[in-house]
Amino acid sequence: MEKNYHVCTGCSLLCDDIEVEAEKNKINKVHTACRIGVAHMKAGKEEAIFRVDNKPVDEATAISEAAAILKNAKNPMIFGLGASTNEAQKTAIELAKKINATLDDTSSFCLGSLVEALISEKIKTCTLDDVRNKADVIIFWGTDPSDSHPRHLSKYSYFPRGSEKQRGWEEERTAIAIDVRKSHTAKICGNYFFQIPPKGDAEFTDALIAGLSGKLPKTSYNYPPKKILELANILKGAKFGVIFVGRGLIYSLENLEPLFRLMKALNEKANFHLMPMVGNYNTMGFNENLFAETGYVNSVKFENGTVLHGPDYSIVEALKERTVDAALIVGSDPFSILPRSIVKNLLEIPVISIDPYETLTSRNSKVYINTAISGVEAGGSATRMDGKKVSFEPAIETNHPSDETILKKIMEAL
Amino acid sequence: MDFGSFLATPEIKVKVITYRDIFQDKAMIENRFGEEYRNLSAVIKLDPVDLKQLNVKKGDTVILKNSFGRIVVKVDESGYETPHRGVAYMPKSPWSNMLVSDETGGTGIPKFKDISVTITSAKGEKITEIEF
Repeated sequence: MEKNYHVCTGCSLLCDDIEVEAEKNKINKVHTACRIGVAHMKAGKEEAIFRVDNKPVDEATAISEAAAILKNAKNPMIFGLGASTNEAQKTAIELAKKINATLDDTSSFCLGSLVEALISEKIKTCTLDDVRNKADVIIFWGTDPSDSHPRHLSKYSYFPRGSEKQRGWEEERTAIAIDVRKSHTAKICGNYFFQIPPKGDAEFTDALIAGLSGKLPKTSYNYPPKKILELANILKGAKFGVIFVGRGLIYSLENLEPLFRLMKALNEKANFHLMPMVGNYNTMGFNENLFAETGYVNSVKFENGTVLHGPDYSIVEALKERTVDAALIVGSDPFSILPRSIVKNLLEIPVISIDPYETLTSRNSKVYINTAISGVEAGGSATRMDGKKVSFEPAIETNHPSDETILKKIMEAL
Repeated sequence: MDFGSFLATPEIKVKVITYRDIFQDKAMIENRFGEEYRNLSAVIKLDPVDLKQLNVKKGDTVILKNSFGRIVVKVDESGYETPHRGVAYMPKSPWSNMLVSDETGGTGIPKFKDISVTITSAKGEKITEIEF
């Protein structure tokens, strides 16, 4: 019997081997997925919800109110879309152009700078399938996939027996963690865990570069040079190395130069790739789609056919400087994920929240439209963290509209 | 010994590093206003020596305060073998975000993993609600 596999949109791994058991359009069993994936696949709700000023309304009223907010705004912002399909993202970009909006996603305060470097081909990358089949040295730097991308190590980066790595992790792979704390991933890496002090990453990078050239690696925090030289020797011998980079590393660096220097030094001695550990299931898609349209991965403002770009158009600076006067938030919860010292300014402007989940943002919005969970209740396509395109069908039927449908209706209402 | 140790209610300064936790993420998907998510989020993990200095024990509530916010969360031992006095850990959540600075230097990137706070015993005060 042919099995019907689903795609989990719980994180940017987009695992495509998920089986579910459903009854009356409610998923009650999920096989193969991780803890996050199981909760995600089961999260479908029964009734669609539309609210204006926290009172229930019908869909048409919610759409028309949302359109009125955007029409009356002089400087609207569209934010989110990391948990939306490529199709919804492209619709949102069209909408942003139409209303001269500022457009941004979470990557502006996460890993966007690194994703931009990758898309612009400033750093060598690879696919997760390459990692599974070929990687012999794997570094997790400032990231803990055991918690954030739970099947990363078992499906791709460490435990599988890839086509060229049949002897697996026991003999043919070395996993290394560099972090400020002994994360669950660091525990798996055992003796190859390198604990550095907060903000110590740039110095560690330069010490490692010195070690790669046989020089004495020095740090102001006196990291044992012998350990850095041992690490450098492992990296030098890599036939297919990969560094998975998380926010722990990126937040610690002033800019990406230390990473560029390290990748250059590593590729003079060995063969190294880099991959950012983007979080939301389709952040990579948003960055790619916006880059294709504007040449930038986030933080843009459309203005009568031209595109402005820079941190001023990021959600954080836009809210700090109070430059936007209405916000359309799609599949994101800025009231939870941003510093309260900044996001409190969002309370001063009308907010439209389009989200499958009840969140702090939905509760503080003028208009709330409860949409289908893509991958569970709606189909579409997305881009995996390594750039691979993945399409999916809904696992169950729902009466909830998709965010793509809602965005199109808002656009029509304008 | 810090001056704070001589005060009637001991107070210490720590740097808070935030991180992700799979159990907390799963609880958030199920209900971000629920008890499980709050229990797994509104918590700070300290070095055992810092707990002792604060005169609090695992499960007590503490006040975390800086110029950006004041919250009450539960305190726990980190369980890390390596001593880390003065460095504390919190799962990233609306609670940790109540303490994050609005200073970004115009970069658009807040210092989510670099938070300085003072801690004191909350003497039984309840955990802060996240609603506005």
